[in-house]
Amino acid sequence: MSKVYTVPILSRGRVILPTEDDFLEFGGRTGARFRTPDPHKHVHDLVLGDAGRLIDLHNLPMSEILDFLAALGPRLRLSENPYLQDAYDLAIEAGGLTKPLMSTLYDRLPDMFDRATLEARVDRAIGLPYLDGWVPQADSGPGAEVRVRAVGCRHLHIIAGNVPITAPGTVLSSALSKGDCLIKAPSNDPLTANAVVRTMIDLNPDHPVTKHLAVAYWKGGDAFMDSEIIRTSRIDKITAWGGMASVQHIQKYLVPGIELLSMNPKYSFSIVGKEVFESDAAMREAATGVAIQAGKFNQSACASTRLVYVESDTDDDSIEKLIAFGELVYAAFQTLPDYFSTPADAPNPSLEAEMRAIESEDDFYWVKGDTIDGGVIVSKFEGKVDFSNELSNRVVNIVPVENWSEVLGSVDDTSQTIPIFPVSLRVRLREELAIRGAQRMLPLSTNLLDPVEAGAVPALPHDGNESLRRQVRWMIDQGPLA
Amino acid sequence: MPLMLSPLTPASWPERHHVDLLAIPKEERDALQLAALKLRFARFREAIPALTTLVEKQGVDKIERIEDVMPICFDHRVLKNYPLTILEKRDFKKLTAWLNKLTTHDLTIVDLSGLTTVDSWIDRLESYGMVIGTSSGTTGKLSFVARSMDDMPGWRLAWMQAAIAGTGVNPHTTKLPTFVPGYRSGHQMAIKNGKQFANEMCGGEENRHSLYDIHMSADLMVLSGKMQAAEEKGELDKIGIDPVLVEQRRAIIEMGKNRPRDVQVWFEKMIHDFRGQQVRIGGLFADLYRAAQAGMDKGIKPDFAPGTIVVGGGGMKGFKDAPDNWRQIIEEFFGVERLCSSYGFSENMGNAQQCSQGYYHFFPYTIVMLMGPNGEALPREGVQKGRLAVYDLLAESVWGGVVSGDEVTVHFDDDCACGWKGPRVEDNIRRYSEMEGGDDKITCSGSAKAYDEFMDYVMGQ
Repeated sequence: MSKVYTVPILSRGRVILPTEDDFLEFGGRTGARFRTPDPHKHVHDLVLGDAGRLIDLHNLPMSEILDFLAALGPRLRLSENPYLQDAYDLAIEAGGLTKPLMSTLYDRLPDMFDRATLEARVDRAIGLPYLDGWVPQADSGPGAEVRVRAVGCRHLHIIAGNVPITAPGTVLSSALSKGDCLIKAPSNDPLTANAVVRTMIDLNPDHPVTKHLAVAYWKGGDAFMDSEIIRTSRIDKITAWGGMASVQHIQKYLVPGIELLSMNPKYSFSIVGKEVFESDAAMREAATGVAIQAGKFNQSACASTRLVYVESDTDDDSIEKLIAFGELVYAAFQTLPDYFSTPADAPNPSLEAEMRAIESEDDFYWVKGDTIDGGVIVSKFEGKVDFSNELSNRVVNIVPVENWSEVLGSVDDTSQTIPIFPVSLRVRLREELAIRGAQRMLPLSTNLLDPVEAGAVPALPHDGNESLRRQVRWMIDQGPLA
Repeated sequence: MPLMLSPLTPASWPERHHVDLLAIPKEERDALQLAALKLRFARFREAIPALTTLVEKQGVDKIERIEDVMPICFDHRVLKNYPLTILEKRDFKKLTAWLNKLTTHDLTIVDLSGLTTVDSWIDRLESYGMVIGTSSGTTGKLSFVARSMDDMPGWRLAWMQAAIAGTGVNPHTTKLPTFVPGYRSGHQMAIKNGKQFANEMCGGEENRHSLYDIHMSADLMVLSGKMQAAEEKGELDKIGIDPVLVEQRRAIIEMGKNRPRDVQVWFEKMIHDFRGQQVRIGGLFADLYRAAQAGMDKGIKPDFAPGTIVVGGGGMKGFKDAPDNWRQIIEEFFGVERLCSSYGFSENMGNAQQCSQGYYHFFPYTIVMLMGPNGEALPREGVQKGRLAVYDLLAESVWGGVVSGDEVTVHFDDDCACGWKGPRVEDNIRRYSEMEGGDDKITCSGSAKAYDEFMDYVMGQ
């Protein structure tokens, strides 16, 4: 029997623990079980019915908010924080990542709260002066008496749980936009948001930032919760990860006056030009790049490469080269360091069955590996496997393409991250990719450290939108001040 | 009296009466099945190329216990492991070469000239003696089961034996007018069976009455996904699809919208036209319930002759507001004592029939096995839950070993209160494809599930 975790409801500085008279138990499919207070009884602790109560945060200078977040950062070390340790254990049981990878992600938490990084980020995305006051829109003339301010509002965040950094990211974006935030935790990571906010409560339960955070788990599609929370009198904006999976439940409550920021599911793929076959070094570079892009977070994220389109003919010689490239990708998977990518803890039975089913079809496919150690499927014709939507556990499908027109035709709003080899091809294709909806182009390189993920550039757009900027509303004040 | 079934000729077993077939004790049945299985393995291992490959890969050299066959049963996906694009592009040469690996017959002699559609390809193969059934392929990818006329005698006998066991009406002597609330013809296996056994079951096609008197085109099923995508881009007229198919698709979507009303109107007409006659009423339970409820609301009282049977399936799926006593409502409305039901899938010829206790019993020509979560064979004793795998001993031109996509609970011991022996399946069958994905997990990465859910949403389910 696995441990039953306690997941309290956190409400504006208060910790509401389950009791003998007030609890519900939920079970993850993989066995992780947790107990929470009955959210139906506490729904009014979760929402902010009176938007006027945002005044404390509104009047608080950003410098104090940044100080508070910076003070929280060092307390979010996995080794020292029992709340995070529980969250980590539960995420391991309920989620889909292996221990070394989960550790890597949790180890990032303190750095996510670095003051200078956060300050640069919010200043770039929204502008600190706009958050702290009314900014005149011209130096002189009539425009000088027209002022704009970025004003925080009330949010419901239905967050994703496949990667545990969504939870702290949500806490940050709420605080940095002076917003009031209710986080609906996902069943595959019910505790990380909880752990971050609970640490914050320990730090200072009366701080305005703490007073505007609530975290709870309820089952997606709970009509009572949805109808009680999603009202124009209680919520201004909803950020919904997971696309239809989360939106379909709430769509009937969406009315004008509630803004939906939909972080819908994304697919990512790599593009490799024919230059790859010009030298062994090129082959190795691109193959390692593919392994990195597919291996990162064990292919569980939206940014993970699943398909690899390679410019190649489909005659026997060309296919042989393609298979050689596939061998290199497979070999590169095995050399990725543990903190970055690992063999899976368990096979993916459905994908494994698909792989075994096409293995015998050597007229059409070449198959290597499995859903534990990673795998490579080379298509011997111009076409991806018909189960490409299921590719996971570090299994990629290498697909030969004669030219890029068909690949470009498949690009749309769901195309997130597109690594490209070589550089010249990226420069050539990026406009065509961008106008169709592709959200990020980058090199297929052998470098494990991604400057974007390392935060080298603050406040980058995500999924094609500036989500932090969209957390606020833009208000106008005009006329003389006296 | 001993049955004297020969392991050499399992396709003749359904000559025997189902009461005798379902009276064979477990030990005797297992021994008979094992003997027949050994012979099938010896006969097919070099004769079916896809099996030869699998046998080599799995290193199976002989069958000593029934479970030994499990590693060389085809996963149901093997029957559709061709690339969808060759079907969409109608590359019949490649498709035939692919299918050729799944049958004992040499399909290289088939003349493939002049073929334009998947339907015409299937018709051509059938003109050479093949019998090709497809799955319904909701995602546009069809499984193909490549049987032949060699399979027909056993298949037909098993079909009729199942009908007697399941309904108590003997189609050898009693040919009933049959109501089919669906399409008249098509290569999808269930539709195909209705038509190909029309003589045996109903005394001819004129006694089979379908809701829609049209052919369900395999091409339409193949191209539905592609057409959907093209339509969303506003390019349906630009992807080179035969305008006839485009029109057919439009008509079928329209029919789908009107279906609930059509079913009601049609049943009203059938109830009127066949007053006083003994009939067989088929269909999805959801349709039958809908017809019964609407009929009751209108005060209609069917007056069929005694011996009328209702054969349904599908539960109340997609019918959220159905009351718990829907079975009773259907029974009362149509005036039958009980609803008959069977369980089967395209890859297996002998359907299991539901007994008086609600279990589905398999006949001895279907060897029942269960696969555990790690691909291992579960013990064939007591009550076990797992993925159903079968070996179809009736199969004469294809390999009978198939691992299904269904999770079932099987009672292996011969202790059913109905009196029938043979492994029986509980009435709680679930598809793995519907269970995977977990509940309420939100992720940022796209998946097939997201698309399916979107489709459900669009369809208003």
